[in-house]
Amino acid sequence: MSLRVDVALQREGFSLEAAFDASVDETVALLGPNGSGKSTVVSILAGLIRPDSGHVELDGIRLDDVPPEERPVGVLFQDLLLFPHLSALENVAFPLRARGAAKVGARRRAAEALERFGMAGRAGARPRDLSGGEAQRVALARTLITEPRLLLLDEPTSSLDVAARARFRRLLSETLRTFPGVRVLVSHDPVEAMTLADRLVVLEDGRVTQAGTPEDFRRAPRTPYAAELVGVNLFAGRLERLPDGAGRLVAAGGELTVAWPPQASDPTEDVLAVLRPADVSLHRECPEGSARNVFHGRIEEIAVEGTRARVRLGTHPALVAEVTLGSVSRLGLAEGTAAWASFKAVEVAVLLPQGTSTGTLVG
Amino acid sequence: MGAAFVALPLVGLLARAPWSRAAAILSSDSSRTAFRLSLEVSGLAAALDLTLGLPLAWVLARKAFPGRTFVRGLVVLPLVMPPVVAGVALLAALGRRGLVGAWLDRAFGLQLTFTTGAAVLATALVSFPLVVLAAEAGLRSIDARLEQAASFLGASRWYLMRRVTLPLLGPQIAAGAALAWARALGEFGATLMFAGNLRGRTQTLPLAVFELSQTDPRGATVLALALVAVSLAVIVALRRRLLTP
Amino acid sequence: MRRSATATFLAVALLATGCSRADGGAPGTSTLTVFAASSLTGAFTQIGKDFEAANPGTHVAFSFGPSDGLAQQIESEGTADVFASASGTWMDDVATKVGVTDRADFAKNRLVIITPPSDPANVRSLADLARPGVQVVLAAAGVPVGDYARQVLTNAGIAKQVLSNVVSNEQDDAALVAKITSGEADAALVYSSDVTSAVSTDVKAIPIPDPVNVIATYPIAVVHGTSQPDVAQAFVAYVTGPAAQATLASFGFLPPG
Repeated sequence: MSLRVDVALQREGFSLEAAFDASVDETVALLGPNGSGKSTVVSILAGLIRPDSGHVELDGIRLDDVPPEERPVGVLFQDLLLFPHLSALENVAFPLRARGAAKVGARRRAAEALERFGMAGRAGARPRDLSGGEAQRVALARTLITEPRLLLLDEPTSSLDVAARARFRRLLSETLRTFPGVRVLVSHDPVEAMTLADRLVVLEDGRVTQAGTPEDFRRAPRTPYAAELVGVNLFAGRLERLPDGAGRLVAAGGELTVAWPPQASDPTEDVLAVLRPADVSLHRECPEGSARNVFHGRIEEIAVEGTRARVRLGTHPALVAEVTLGSVSRLGLAEGTAAWASFKAVEVAVLLPQGTSTGTLVG
Repeated sequence: MGAAFVALPLVGLLARAPWSRAAAILSSDSSRTAFRLSLEVSGLAAALDLTLGLPLAWVLARKAFPGRTFVRGLVVLPLVMPPVVAGVALLAALGRRGLVGAWLDRAFGLQLTFTTGAAVLATALVSFPLVVLAAEAGLRSIDARLEQAASFLGASRWYLMRRVTLPLLGPQIAAGAALAWARALGEFGATLMFAGNLRGRTQTLPLAVFELSQTDPRGATVLALALVAVSLAVIVALRRRLLTP
Repeated sequence: MRRSATATFLAVALLATGCSRADGGAPGTSTLTVFAASSLTGAFTQIGKDFEAANPGTHVAFSFGPSDGLAQQIESEGTADVFASASGTWMDDVATKVGVTDRADFAKNRLVIITPPSDPANVRSLADLARPGVQVVLAAAGVPVGDYARQVLTNAGIAKQVLSNVVSNEQDDAALVAKITSGEADAALVYSSDVTSAVSTDVKAIPIPDPVNVIATYPIAVVHGTSQPDVAQAFVAYVTGPAAQATLASFGFLPPG
């Protein structure tokens, strides 16, 4: 099972020419800045916009002439967009009823779906009476009720606060893992994309500029946008408690010290940590001071963007730092030379798998 | 002071009403006939306003077309136009010698003036803006993404309208219809001009108040108060049911 | 700024309403307020001008309206110096409740049938009004011209049939004339004085034979409590005098008596 997209569309002041594939054993993230054409692609996949030319093919079947209500596509929207005047049950039954299903059957199937999501007791509640987590479950139930073969997540977490985002991401990754079809995540949030997707497709100005795994991007970003995208330092590993009360994240490429999240148990597996490049300081000499994380390594690359430079370091773990051009010349930084990098433990945002988080995360 | 400005005429009515005769006046044949006719005419007018007003409100809120500002201004016009002028305008258009009326008369032998239909048309015209304005404001306040979501979930245009847009618009439609109905209930000038004044056919409650004031001015205050009471009931019901979130 | 503008507006509004009642000219002039039946509008406007010309320094302000409405206004507000009514009934009413002096009948008026010039219902006589399908408009009961019309129909013995042809009860004779000139109704019963030169080409007048016709008598009187009884008496005398009588005749009124 797979999705093949190759479409072109011309509108006033905008043109789209997008081609990408997604197979059933991966989650593909369609990433791009605002106005890049992501939502147009979503509309084309759902059948609301007809491309000027090209095809959308799902499981070898062309969808081009299939009307929206007959497409095996389920969409989860940003802000969920539950209908405020309908109960949870009626919301979930909506796609079935819109497709002409009889009321009784639709409601029975909707009730079963709510039960699978542990929401059987809330069937009669209106969206405004649901908690954030309950609303997310209802929305997912509504998305999946038609048993789609293509699951589209459209900016699912981008309007949530950090804590809620982490919780929802956990529910989403579980949903994605168990979904028996093609999964496409549309996002402009690199953290969301890299934590949920196996492969990234970057869309800029209506064109696919790069596609590949996050590692492919990290190694060789082809556009400034892609570089910025992976410019975030992302670490994954086991979190352990240090004797002094701080935490240690044991990641594949090395270890770093982080603030201990109060809710964490010792140890915790599958912890994600994010560090903004701007929070990494660079030095010629081993720095003295309060920073708990100090690394030494060779400068692999210096990429200049405006008045700032992104510096890629061959430390363990590998780091990206963002400094001013003034710092680059003052410190005499150059590719191939060695430098010290430091950052405070509290600068690292820790994302716990059970849905709690700490620190501030700027996506 | 502002409240007193509104309340004073009402107090005047209350003070002048001959309460001992109130029951007799209200239960008189002419009053009961006028009451029944008023409910009929204002109800039909509100229904006509909804039928014509909702599609127009939808177009005004959702479609950009040249002259939209002009059309919107035109729609509001009956609100600021003296009702008598509205009546004269209706005569000029639909009267026996009016632009369309003359043709209706010639082609179908159909005459609108002096009929209950004319009273409905006159009151509907004057109350029309209230429905359109309320519905348009409501349509603009709906999150457009909800409607788009419905389309993504497979809703046809018709199903979307019936199951999402109209229910979301419900409170505003009800408020607009109730206001239009109350306005229609109190309509006088346009009705008198276009429909005339005949008991049982075009004599609505305000016209009955006017006719009674010719012979029994104090008795007319009782009827006037009944009219005020009905309008007040609508407003109070509106505030409680619809205007509070 | 806004507050002072509002205050200015209110002051102007108050002045304006004050002015309409008060002496509208230089010192030494006086304003006489005359309430007159709307059927007198044309004739009295002319008579007022003539009276002012004959009595320099005197200003006459008219309020025209249905006699019943005017009578009620005098009874509740007491703002008139002179009252000229289209019926004795309403003059009696004012006489009882407020009091009048110098009462005199100054004109008579009779009813006529008017139809649009094309006469769509083919009305040639009073009897034709009883024919089914003729759309008749009358003034409402209680309005003098409406009461007179019903009296005429009763006199002719066709009240029941004609009343079933009535499509609207209008508020005064002006509204009746408008319904005929616009062609909305087939026939109306109005005063002969309503068929003025201004509308004579837009309506066709059909006389009603005297035996069944109602002759309306117009009384005029000085209202009790006037602040200028002398001018008021002079005006009443002028209206019953030869110059005003000639004017009234030219507007379609009959002499009294």
